[in-house]
Amino acid sequence: MASAPNIELLYDDHAPALFAFLLNLLRNEADTYDVMQDLFIKLGRRPALLLGVRDERGFLLRLAHNAAIDLIRRHEARERNYAQLAQEPMPLFAQSADPDERIFREKLAEALGELPPEQRAVLHLKLWEKLTFEAIAETLAIPLNTAASRYRYGLDKLRDRLRPLYDEIK
Amino acid sequence: MNADFENRLQRQPIRELPRDWRAQILAAAADSPKGRAALPRRPELGRSSSFALPDYEMSGLRPGEGVSTWPSLRAWASLAAVWLVIFLLHSTAPDEPRLARNSTPMTMQSFAILHAQTLMMAELLGQTDSTDFRPPPAAPAAAPKPRSEIERKQLIG
Repeated sequence: MASAPNIELLYDDHAPALFAFLLNLLRNEADTYDVMQDLFIKLGRRPALLLGVRDERGFLLRLAHNAAIDLIRRHEARERNYAQLAQEPMPLFAQSADPDERIFREKLAEALGELPPEQRAVLHLKLWEKLTFEAIAETLAIPLNTAASRYRYGLDKLRDRLRPLYDEIK
Repeated sequence: MNADFENRLQRQPIRELPRDWRAQILAAAADSPKGRAALPRRPELGRSSSFALPDYEMSGLRPGEGVSTWPSLRAWASLAAVWLVIFLLHSTAPDEPRLARNSTPMTMQSFAILHAQTLMMAELLGQTDSTDFRPPPAAPAAAPKPRSEIERKQLIG
């Protein structure tokens, strides 16, 4: 019989990916911390949840996504300007010594903030988690075509938004 | 163009997970408090919220999916209380049905019919000398009599 997974190993294996995904979705470090803490607390209470799970990363990303969307909706119910807050400048990417690269990352973070969370989630999983559309569809519990179309729409918006800058520094 | 752009995006590294989070989160997970009030928060980061991961999130359900079927002790207790109140109200209600209470009183015509039927029954049972039964003074003269009585009178007459 398989034993319950070690919570520290789980953290070391998956926390960086969960942090990046949640930070991109929530656009706020405090909210990201809260969601991550709750996630690991509940996993600590019920480690058996992960027994039999084939894809730990996918399972945890799905839980994180559900919690993030739930939090965004609650924020929207309380603060009508939450969407505007999500577009505020937020250091999403690592600092770069190259000025061009730094500006590109700032603009990319802004452009991502303008996308709906659903598109942002798909883009993140495809670009930075390098998941297939099948895996994305399973993680986000959406149809495969929806995952693909959200990615296409999101990428088009990013390209339109960043085209001048991208063409300039290419 | 698309591939170039995607590659360019993929090369942008997202910030690293703050190192101090590990100890804090794992300590909170190890403590595993029953109540959420004891959990440490990070108000210094700004726009923090009183966030609590709903239990249904741990089932892997989407937000709002299957919530109505998820067991909730409070909801079931409320439902049971409502049913208990309904049962008590029903059991303590008077036995007389509302329909019977609201029915109209017997009219003079129906009383006359009932009286005629009683007379007929008395005749059939051989109690022809029944002086106890008198028609009520206000009974209409044209009160309809049972067809059997009319036929019997015709045969006798």
